[in-house]
Amino acid sequence: MMTNCQTIRPRLSEFVDDALDPQTRAAVDAHLAACAACSALVDDLSRLRSAARRLGPIDPPERLWIDVDRQVRQDRAIAPNEAAQTSDIGAVWQWIGLAAALVVVTLGVYAVQHRNAPQPTADISHANQTSCNAGATGSVETVEQELRQAEEHYDKAIAELEAVTRNGNASLDPDVARTLQKNLATINQAISESRAALDAHPESEPARDSLFEALRKKVGVLQATVTLMNEMRNGNQDGAARAAAGIGRKSGD
Amino acid sequence: MVGRTDAEDLLQEIFLTAHRKLASYKGESSLGTWLFRLAANMCVDHLRRQSTRVAQVTDPLDDDTRGSDTREGSVLGAIDRLDLERALETLAPRSRIVFVLHDVEGFEHREIGDMLGITDGTSKSQLHKARMRLREALAERSVSQRA
Repeated sequence: MMTNCQTIRPRLSEFVDDALDPQTRAAVDAHLAACAACSALVDDLSRLRSAARRLGPIDPPERLWIDVDRQVRQDRAIAPNEAAQTSDIGAVWQWIGLAAALVVVTLGVYAVQHRNAPQPTADISHANQTSCNAGATGSVETVEQELRQAEEHYDKAIAELEAVTRNGNASLDPDVARTLQKNLATINQAISESRAALDAHPESEPARDSLFEALRKKVGVLQATVTLMNEMRNGNQDGAARAAAGIGRKSGD
Repeated sequence: MVGRTDAEDLLQEIFLTAHRKLASYKGESSLGTWLFRLAANMCVDHLRRQSTRVAQVTDPLDDDTRGSDTREGSVLGAIDRLDLERALETLAPRSRIVFVLHDVEGFEHREIGDMLGITDGTSKSQLHKARMRLREALAERSVSQRA
């Protein structure tokens, strides 16, 4: 049984993530009821978690894909045999799926660096807004502006993923396709409700968190769908089964 | 600190490396796992090189051993986005990747473990250390801003 701060504290991140088993959670709850220092730490970790969720993904500029496309073509021109092998494995749809998946990981690094770097031309306004934010923290206008920008990023990612899944929908098992549609309908409803709540109360942090949570879920479901289609086309039944289970799990996170 | 140009270069480099190595993909793991692992490793390598170049954020260890929870009581108020981004730069590369993948991007520890080739437990531990370090960095920043 965990009873002191030293043993409790390493588990507090999992507590905040609601990832502890019931017994351990009960022990942590009991400790927190009696320990102001650990309770304060939980408050800080929760704030940190909420703030991180609001950072959201960032889309790379369109010209990046043009550069990648050009370099891939150059690669193929230099090594035609290798390119032929590659095209056997990876058709166009596969690269679209790869793009969707890879952007998420890479922008983890990108997201942190993007806003702090010197911003040329079109991004100057954003940099200025962010700088102003440091001096006018919490103003409704600034928060709304950041919210809109984050929403745009999500919306764009969702639109791209939806395009990928639409193209591959015919290859999905009818049951899986129905589950997918049902889950997406539920998430879409949550997005609409959260947006309505946020419109009514722009300063509401729970409404904002709820909206981003719903958007994040939708991205997760669509990513799982892309993975499922990739696995099915590769003939990987185990992988497809895992991905299909992931569609349900992502919607219920 | 590395700027936007470097970040875009890295994204391009990852895509090209993935394209060049796709022929060597044997299907031993799912394509997504293979790709995530490649991208995550390249991101970690990139951040390590960056840390080596920039003395003030250098941390020679993958495990972020700073951020011991010596501060008592709540030390964070409303967290400014810019402050959080600055604080993230102080994390060791692997801690930073784990934090971003979990807390910003919403991946699960199992998925992060697959990407980085670490166990779920290591991912959880890295995340906790990252959060504690960020708490410390944000508290320090808050104190210096008040001074």
